[in-house]
Amino acid sequence: MAEPSDGLRPRFLLWLSVRFMTLLLQNLVNGLLLGGLYVCIAIGFSLIWGVLNIINLLHGSIIVLGSYIAYYAFTMFGISPFLAPLFVIPMMFAFGYGLQLAVLNRVVDKPVLITLTLTFGLDLILNNFMLAAFTANFRRVVFKDPFETLDLYGVIIPVDRVVAMALALVLTLAFYLLLNSSRIGRAIVAVRNDRDAAVLMGVNVKQIYAVTFGVGAAFAGAAGCLLSVVFPISPMSSGLYLGKAFVICVLGGLGSIGGALIGGLALGVIESMGVMLAGPEHSVLTGFLVLLAVLAIKPTGLAGKRGYE
Amino acid sequence: MTKMTRLLLAATLGAAWVALQQPALAQIKIGAPLPLTGALAPEGLKQREGYDLWAEEVNKAGGIKVGNARQKVEFVYYDYQSGTPRAVQLTEKLISEDKVNFIFAPFGSGATKATSNVSEKYKIPNISSTGSSEQVYDQGFKYLFGTLNSNAVVSKALIAYLKGAAPTVKKVAIYSRNDLFPLALATSLDEAAKANGYTIVYFEKYPLNAADHSAALSDLRARGADWIYVTGYTDDLIRIRKQMVDLKVTAPVVTMLAGPAYPDFVDGLGDVANGVTSVTWWHPELRFKSSDIFANTENYVKLFQAKYNKLPDYAQASSSAAGIVLQMAIEKAGSIDPEKVRDVLASTEFDTFYGPIKFGPTGQNVTADNPIFQIQDKKIVITAPEGVKRGTLQLLK
Repeated sequence: MAEPSDGLRPRFLLWLSVRFMTLLLQNLVNGLLLGGLYVCIAIGFSLIWGVLNIINLLHGSIIVLGSYIAYYAFTMFGISPFLAPLFVIPMMFAFGYGLQLAVLNRVVDKPVLITLTLTFGLDLILNNFMLAAFTANFRRVVFKDPFETLDLYGVIIPVDRVVAMALALVLTLAFYLLLNSSRIGRAIVAVRNDRDAAVLMGVNVKQIYAVTFGVGAAFAGAAGCLLSVVFPISPMSSGLYLGKAFVICVLGGLGSIGGALIGGLALGVIESMGVMLAGPEHSVLTGFLVLLAVLAIKPTGLAGKRGYE
Repeated sequence: MTKMTRLLLAATLGAAWVALQQPALAQIKIGAPLPLTGALAPEGLKQREGYDLWAEEVNKAGGIKVGNARQKVEFVYYDYQSGTPRAVQLTEKLISEDKVNFIFAPFGSGATKATSNVSEKYKIPNISSTGSSEQVYDQGFKYLFGTLNSNAVVSKALIAYLKGAAPTVKKVAIYSRNDLFPLALATSLDEAAKANGYTIVYFEKYPLNAADHSAALSDLRARGADWIYVTGYTDDLIRIRKQMVDLKVTAPVVTMLAGPAYPDFVDGLGDVANGVTSVTWWHPELRFKSSDIFANTENYVKLFQAKYNKLPDYAQASSSAAGIVLQMAIEKAGSIDPEKVRDVLASTEFDTFYGPIKFGPTGQNVTADNPIFQIQDKKIVITAPEGVKRGTLQLLK
């Protein structure tokens, strides 16, 4: 196929142009806004992986389910998707908690391949259920009064993305406080650090597993609410979100909130800059190349702790 | 063996037994692998609607006239779950196991091209209702036909129209999905635009499964184009259009292909859809008289609405038209022999409710005159060609 050539300004000329700095700044802003959402996508996935050693393939579908709940709450009752986490979090917690107690706890001590297969199967069920219930058509939250876009010296900032990113970071902070200052949070950390010692200290491990999976699912649902404002909703997006969560966890490192935070923001910025430097065609490739480089230099990820690789 | 599988087995055997009790009717069997689940499900369902309406009308009239007898039509559908390799396997199965007489191709250019190898091998006519890329038909195949005319014709029609309707437009930015059909559309527009003195200031491809386009759109915005041309499928275009508005990326003309012709586009976007221009292959407001069972476009639309309670778009109409040309070819050949039907398909000009259809040397429909439209106030308003025009193009800036 013919490549476009004449009439196209070569990419290096763009580098020299005055508009380059604005474009650079714009891409940085785009990347950070996207990265904030990525953090929210990855945090629950990272928690479940770190504590339960389960690679939760159900994660993407739970995010999409959260989006649908937010979408229907908005279209049927007029509730803003930004408020939807208030009820989606308890719903998804109950869903995750029940799933872990009833199903996953039976195989949680088995090799990772068993739990991987189980969550894969559960994902097929949930995803096809959503396909049947909601169809594959894309749905979008359409506000009556659309959010403004700010124009700061040529750098365009969409306000809905800023709000979504801010809420994502607030949720992350809430999660940090939960882990570090609540009794149950300390118990989760204790189980993660040394399961046998935690049992000896009187921690009910099965219970903590269920709580952890519930919290992970709750975060996925909350991420879904925020994403519903930015991206159209379809069951087909679940694989996309799952893939991002996986890359972010490996990039940032497992076992800490800092890992998901750094990994998410980094991936957002890398993809955004990748588009500018290598063209949109190669932006995903750029993300994976950086991931490979990080793994080669620092196998635990950017902010990972030893023992969780 | 679990209880469930035993039950299933019993049910299958029961169904097979009932099937065997039916007297063997001489039916014309058409095999159609369709994407009934997965990403392309909305498109697959539309194809089936088009086929079913045609089959129902034909069978109501007693069937297709083959010589002095009439033979009813029967479709054998399989769901290929939106995965092209599965569509190829199912085409093979349809021909070798189900012994279908004809194949109607799966959705889109990519899957059509993939299955055309199989039908060619068995010398079974394969009619595509949704594959429009020239690259599907350039394989020298004799048994592959397509009712949609080519991307090059579409691009030329669009350029010719904009030269008159928006003479100030000079700089074009192209943003294309990196996929056979969308990229073929983009490349053909790139060629046609250059040949007509336009400057291409941006031409980039985005990967399949791209969710975020903000970085690419920021770059595009900096190029100062006065015509933004985006290709992809409905879901891509909804995402991109939304993000264009978020990032204030606009131009006097914003064209998107191929999705705005579907109601899903406006449903998914609301007001934000306004102003987008596009080209389509067919529209319910066209008026053609024909010698087929539908008699004219108006009657087709009426029958469609009565059956499905909605308006058809080009995907359904083109699918019904695939049935129509097959029927006309069988009637003219007086036989369902694949080779004889193939020869009539290749040599005849068909007058259909969809418009005239004439398969060129490659097997693709060569008739032109695609409707061009703009979304105004959340409605499709046809702006060209003259005969079916309902409004004029509004520049966006």
